[in-house]
Amino acid sequence: MNYNAAQSSAPKAPAAAMAYICAECGSENEIKPKEPIRCKECGYRIMYKKRTKRMVQFEAR
Amino acid sequence: MPPIAKFNTLNRERTFKNPSDSSFQTPALQEMVAPHIEAFNALTEFGAGSKTGFLDLAIQDIGPKSVFDMKGDGLGNKLTFWVDEITLNKPMLSEKERNSTTRQVYPTEARERLNTYRGKMQAKLAWRVNDGPVVVETRDLGQVPVMIRSNRCNLQGAYPKELIRHHEESEEFGGYFLVNGIEKLIRLLIVPRRNHVVALIRPSFTNRGPTYSSYGTTIRCTRPDQTSQTNTVHYLTDGGSMLRFAWRKQEYLVPTMMVLKALIDTSDKEIFDSIMLGDLDNTFLTDRVELMLRSFKTYALNTREQCLAYLGNKFRVVMNFPEDYTDVEVGEGLLRKIVLVHLKDNRDKFNLLIFMIRKVYALVAGECSPDNPDSPQHQEVLLGGHLYGSIIKEKVEDWLNGVRAQISQDVRRKVTSVDFLNSTYFTKTLQKTSGLQDIGQKMSYFLATGNLLKTTTVRKLLPEAWGFLCPVHTPDGSPCGLLNHLSHTCKIITEPADVSRIPAILASLGVSQTLVPARGQKTIVVQLDGRIVGYCSSNEAKKVADALRHYKVSGSHQGAIPLDVELGYVPVSHGGQYPGLYIFSTPARMMRPVRYLANGKTDMVGSFEQVYMEIACMDDEVRPGESTHQELAPTSMLSIVANLTPFSDFNQSPRNMYQCQMGKQAMGTPATSIKYRTDNKMYRLQTGQTPIVRPALHDTYGMDGFPNGMNAVVAVISYTGYDMEDAMILNKSSHERGFGYGTIYKSEIVNLDDFRVRGEPVLHHFGLGADAPRSWREKLDKDGLPCIGVILKEGDPICAYIDDTTGKTSIKKYKGMEDGIVDEVRLLGSDYGDTELQKIHIKLRVTRSPIIGDKFSSRHGQKGVCSQKWPAIDMPFSESGIQPDVIINPHAFPSRMTIGMFVESLAGKSGALHGIAQDATPFTFNETFTAADYFGEQLKSAGYNYHGNEPMYSGITGEEFKVDIYLGVVYYQRLRHMVADKYQVRTTGPVHNLTMQPVKGRKRAGGIRFGEMERDSLLAHGVSYLLQDRLMNCSDYSLCNVCSKCGSITSPISTQGTSALSNVREVECRACQTSAGVDQIALPYVFRYLATELMAMGIKVTLKTQP
Repeated sequence: MNYNAAQSSAPKAPAAAMAYICAECGSENEIKPKEPIRCKECGYRIMYKKRTKRMVQFEAR
Repeated sequence: MPPIAKFNTLNRERTFKNPSDSSFQTPALQEMVAPHIEAFNALTEFGAGSKTGFLDLAIQDIGPKSVFDMKGDGLGNKLTFWVDEITLNKPMLSEKERNSTTRQVYPTEARERLNTYRGKMQAKLAWRVNDGPVVVETRDLGQVPVMIRSNRCNLQGAYPKELIRHHEESEEFGGYFLVNGIEKLIRLLIVPRRNHVVALIRPSFTNRGPTYSSYGTTIRCTRPDQTSQTNTVHYLTDGGSMLRFAWRKQEYLVPTMMVLKALIDTSDKEIFDSIMLGDLDNTFLTDRVELMLRSFKTYALNTREQCLAYLGNKFRVVMNFPEDYTDVEVGEGLLRKIVLVHLKDNRDKFNLLIFMIRKVYALVAGECSPDNPDSPQHQEVLLGGHLYGSIIKEKVEDWLNGVRAQISQDVRRKVTSVDFLNSTYFTKTLQKTSGLQDIGQKMSYFLATGNLLKTTTVRKLLPEAWGFLCPVHTPDGSPCGLLNHLSHTCKIITEPADVSRIPAILASLGVSQTLVPARGQKTIVVQLDGRIVGYCSSNEAKKVADALRHYKVSGSHQGAIPLDVELGYVPVSHGGQYPGLYIFSTPARMMRPVRYLANGKTDMVGSFEQVYMEIACMDDEVRPGESTHQELAPTSMLSIVANLTPFSDFNQSPRNMYQCQMGKQAMGTPATSIKYRTDNKMYRLQTGQTPIVRPALHDTYGMDGFPNGMNAVVAVISYTGYDMEDAMILNKSSHERGFGYGTIYKSEIVNLDDFRVRGEPVLHHFGLGADAPRSWREKLDKDGLPCIGVILKEGDPICAYIDDTTGKTSIKKYKGMEDGIVDEVRLLGSDYGDTELQKIHIKLRVTRSPIIGDKFSSRHGQKGVCSQKWPAIDMPFSESGIQPDVIINPHAFPSRMTIGMFVESLAGKSGALHGIAQDATPFTFNETFTAADYFGEQLKSAGYNYHGNEPMYSGITGEEFKVDIYLGVVYYQRLRHMVADKYQVRTTGPVHNLTMQPVKGRKRAGGIRFGEMERDSLLAHGVSYLLQDRLMNCSDYSLCNVCSKCGSITSPISTQGTSALSNVREVECRACQTSAGVDQIALPYVFRYLATELMAMGIKVTLKTQP
């Protein structure tokens, strides 16, 4: 897991933007913390979080 | 031959791939909710293409309000104000929002943002001073919830393609509201039929006062805006009668004679003649009418004017009319607003009031029977839209009255700012009373809480309900018969019918005018929507009714009689229902289609007229010369859900009722737009199949889009011993291949606004600060939200937020006992799209593979609990190698008599063998053409046993069973009652801190009460150690000091240790001042508590201890 890298970068750059998907037009939006939730393309007010790139391990039993 | 059923797989797939933009796949679904939507549409457009609705009619009815400023002598200046226009807009973005490309708000946004789907309501308030110019001002009345797919919804008229584009179900039918993201439906409510006089005998009527009898006639009159006013005529034991009405929740009683004389200029002779209707031999009636006329002389009111003035004088305060109204005007207003409000003309009111008096006297004389107000014959439906309109009307009127009260209070207190001629005063007063005007909020509250529901207590299944209310689909238990469902062909009328030409047609058929008929002639009344339009003789009336029926169905006279008109002909009888020809055309009635035998066309029949009609059901029941109509199908009487039970005519009726409940509890496909839904909880069956055996309505209502069960090979055999008492055995391999695999979607909503104190800036932000421990970072991203796909265990962080005041990161913990998988995370913005993230919606997925203890059911009320997942190698097998998915015990059948399940098994088996769908519509088979033979032949042609049973072999020994086993394919539902939600077990755990006994409740890991009866049972068995274990050791076991000298358990207390070094504490009895007799014993903690409680009351508890 690329875990340590994520931890070290997080505190340094607290204003790092995250990418979300607009629920209306499907375009990707980079939204920083404390920025309003609004699509830059269509102005819609709902965003979906993207699926994580991290490995998620399921118990295969 | 039953009709050929088809799976329509390719067709369905095609429409799913290419949704239509011009038609619906299942129009029946749209029809189902049509009454809800049409009634809501009628608020603004009553009747197709009309521009006026109930709201416009309501503000007309409210009328202007006036106040006077008492300046100068007399009343002074008159300020009149009224609502000129009221509008409800489609949901739109506020003007404050500037970024969006689309201004419309669609339901999916309300659903996903957990908002209310609402539109702006505005009123044009007009006012004038004296006769000055009219000033008009538009005022907002707040945001009112709007019905989905109504004419105020942005999805109105949308077809599947567009619906899917807006993230809706492809066949979305609407008819509900969205309040805080939750779908809310206004149920239909049963109310008394409007504009029809009903005769009642109620013992409670005598409570009105002395001389009041239990007899009365009552009528629920409906105004054009669908609000109603009930008028009752009471019979007094002295022969007189009184009119009762309620106004502003207060009851009033007025002599009917006074109302009659106030309505029109009339004479005693006219009243006498119109009540008698020429029946002068009826001395019972003559005596009473004479007495009534005589006794009214005591009032000394001779003219109409005097009667009106008298009424106006008494009701001036109650009616709250403008102060400059004369008494006569107030009296007229009273008659207009309260007495028989469905009629405009006073002559019509007079006639109907006379009729009510006649009917009550006939009831007293025993000439007619009381009407049953609990029968659907005298009932109609209160539609959501009508209710909505009447609430809005009430609120608007309250608002106007509030403004008026405020101004008159100012005038009374001589507030200096009062100046009618200055328009700012009025606008300021308006703002002052603005607290009253937020109608939208009130409507949301009504929808959110459902506070307004009324139920009747009569729950009989009456024959009058045939074809209108489903006899099968009603809950079992306490609400049985109170909560009913409409049969699937029953329609609720919502459109106004044009009946203006009916009086002329009636006249042409020989109905006399409303004038008093000739002496000695026996006549019966003809009423149109509660208005007397004429009289005719009783044998003519039958002909008139028949002719009207023919005109109506055949559409002759250029369709002067619309199909939705109800022609209720009540024939003359001896002591039966009061005769007459009652014609109804108003909305909110229940009607259903039947075939008119005279011309084979479809006629609509209402619940009033049906009672006196000859409607045959099956072909062989048609009686020539008597039957006029025939049912379209015998299944018309069943509701949609009841229709989905296959072969329900083979089952014992309670089993079909059970299935109606269980079908709704089945895990299935809650939606095809699952991704866009935010329901609190959704149960989803992953491996749903289309049933092989399906009734016709399964396709009509598009059930294949939402499968809620699986076709299972079922063997009826007592095999392992694990199938006793309604348990069923699941084939372990079927389970492993996905049989019954389900999922639960749960919503978690986190709103940081909850932490915020009003007025303070935003201090909490989603995010993961530097202080967050590693364990949190495994589940959460740097934005403080959970990673999608991550598995959450109990106590794991579900999201993190930073508090600006402390700078610390806090988390919200996942509280579920089961593991949840994060499925979706929604970031919800604000209405204007200008605030940072404060609210999120997390959808969690909980897997629910079937386990022992989960509930399953066939479609015949045969529910059972999975007791074992039996290995496939040990399952019995047939000669062709088939092994069952499910084993059920034969004892499930004899007492329950669910033969339908056997037939389904047979049909399913042959359907699976031949690869065809089987039609399972009830009432297709009969004695000469049996289901057993029909499906038996199919099985035979497939090379199987005709009767559906087969030789089978034990999976354990391999030996053939001595009997053939009934093996077939039955559609099984997995019910949402699962052990995972219900198991409750503990040895020790949380205890109540006062009694030290286990707490109750599954959520708190509490125990199940081991009560007196359970204790008795163990005592009877003599298992005292078990008793000791349950009631003492696993409960509030405690060690306690007791003084054997004085027997007290409260007095021994520990004293100072003997030496400072020693830890040993001495326990000494305070009463005996010695530690000699102190012993330690085990006692229930509550006993010690009891002892202290008793001590507080001054009662000593002494224990006699023995070594």
